[in-house]
Amino acid sequence: MKIRFWGVRGSFAMAGREFLRYGGNTTSVELLTDAGQRLLIDLGTGATELAKQLMTSEFGRGQGRLPILLSHTHLDHIQGLPFFTPFFIKGNEIRILGAKPTSGISLEATLQNQLDPHYSPLNGLENLAAGVSIDEIVPGGTIVVPGFEVHTIAVPHGSMWTTAYRISADGKTVTYLSDVEYPNLDEPLSEAIALARGADLLIHDAMHADHDYELRRGWGHSPARAGVIVAERAGAKKLALFHHSPDATDEMIDEVVQRTSASTQVPVFAAAEGSYLEI
Amino acid sequence: MQITFWGVRGSYPVPGAATVRYGGQTSCVEARSSGGDCVIVDAGTGMRALGNKLMREAQGPQHYDVLLSHVHWDHIQGLPFFSPAYVPGTKIGVHALLTAADELHQVIGGITRHEFFPMPLEAVPAQFEFHEVEPGVEFDLGAFHITPIALNHPFGSVGYRIDGDGTSWAYVADTAPFDKVIHKQHFLSGPEPLSDDDRASLRAMRDALVRRLVGVDTVVYDTHFLPEEYERFPHYGHSTPDQALEICSEAKVRRLVLYHHAPSHTDEQMDRIAETYLGRGAELGIEVVTSYEGLTLQIGPEPARDPERTNPGVGPA
Repeated sequence: MKIRFWGVRGSFAMAGREFLRYGGNTTSVELLTDAGQRLLIDLGTGATELAKQLMTSEFGRGQGRLPILLSHTHLDHIQGLPFFTPFFIKGNEIRILGAKPTSGISLEATLQNQLDPHYSPLNGLENLAAGVSIDEIVPGGTIVVPGFEVHTIAVPHGSMWTTAYRISADGKTVTYLSDVEYPNLDEPLSEAIALARGADLLIHDAMHADHDYELRRGWGHSPARAGVIVAERAGAKKLALFHHSPDATDEMIDEVVQRTSASTQVPVFAAAEGSYLEI
Repeated sequence: MQITFWGVRGSYPVPGAATVRYGGQTSCVEARSSGGDCVIVDAGTGMRALGNKLMREAQGPQHYDVLLSHVHWDHIQGLPFFSPAYVPGTKIGVHALLTAADELHQVIGGITRHEFFPMPLEAVPAQFEFHEVEPGVEFDLGAFHITPIALNHPFGSVGYRIDGDGTSWAYVADTAPFDKVIHKQHFLSGPEPLSDDDRASLRAMRDALVRRLVGVDTVVYDTHFLPEEYERFPHYGHSTPDQALEICSEAKVRRLVLYHHAPSHTDEQMDRIAETYLGRGAELGIEVVTSYEGLTLQIGPEPARDPERTNPGVGPA
């Protein structure tokens, strides 16, 4: 299984020279099996870059099939939807899977609100030329996506819940725990640890540098240390710090990686836009 | 009066090495009078950095006015990330076109609904005031005199002529040209046949725009597309630099600023666009500047020109 980070930034897309190495696009992560089956997690602005690549393949001919898992519907995780060009090609089949938002409004109504005619000239999901299906999942269960085995749990994210994913293929496992803040940092939820148990790669919310966290406690995001604690307790083989703060320049992220690496035996890196990585 | 560009991109933010010189953030322009009065036009993603700058400058809570051209995401997305909004005592006046029966506060509040953003508008410490604007109905904001102008864009859009300090500039985005397509309140999958009424409406809209731009020093215009891109997507609601030049030439505008760049346009393409249209403008006697993030322009004729000085419009370093 391969992975590619198309967007690693949290909250807000950051353009500028200080963000070039790690990248300024908001969250979107692609997983590819050895057989070429594809899965996308989240539809931040990073997805628009993947879209350009997809359009040169079967997606440009209206023969693409793509499942997309949403962690939640905060804008930085769905902002790329109206500009994800495979949606505009008839024949493509795109399946969006995600939990019902905590407010109780359906996932479909939420995405319809995003494309409301006030906000978007698309005027609604029905105007996307591709076949789009929206499947509400109930976190806590397993979902079937061709080529992948996916386990889901709900984790707390400020005033709402997000869905975390454990995704296995080709004998490898990736755990995606973004947009999470544990009520007690030193005792992360046992469900989260179980979700990351023995994972080859744990992708974890690291919005805050450890020294910034106290000021931002309760905002729904983790300091870098949270991913370390989960990775160590779960025996994860590698930790990717993810969902970087919009204020974090490349140099600041370098420093967080350095400090975090020094604090643990688990190999740590900061997720960056770029190339395909073998899991 | 001077204006500063905080976001010049259309549709969605495009970070990355290919856009680093012109900038990747979406629509947001700050205007300042010589006396320091401030008005913000559009609240795209460029507004975050503007907010951070205003926080550094401000002594205590301030009153800001934001003129919105319309409420598509790329023009409002920065509002929840505008840091002065989180300072108690701050007042923010939002001025926008009301195109549907909804209350403006519900439309703006809708972008911070629970599913999209962690804090609802009502919980934001700043006090928001919503003002409906109507094309042709003029009003004053501090040192500025504002004239809203109807534009041609899906679900309605409005440009602004802004007079102050004895000079004026205008913000003309987002808009399609006024010939092939008329934008109303329904989805267009392509150009639709025009009725006689449609043609008359387009003509009236164009005439009113030209009339309002007469005597304006600097016009910031939606020039999202190159001509060949426009031919493919005439129903997307955006113009080309050629169409902007035509309008500015009729109104005898001194300077045109290209703005709302397509997200696909790289810095190298933008350099070519800047150079091409600098030349086209010169033929018509119009100075053409291609906007980039961080650009500040003085509005009004410059006192004395140094002929040796490189034209700043050719592009960012």
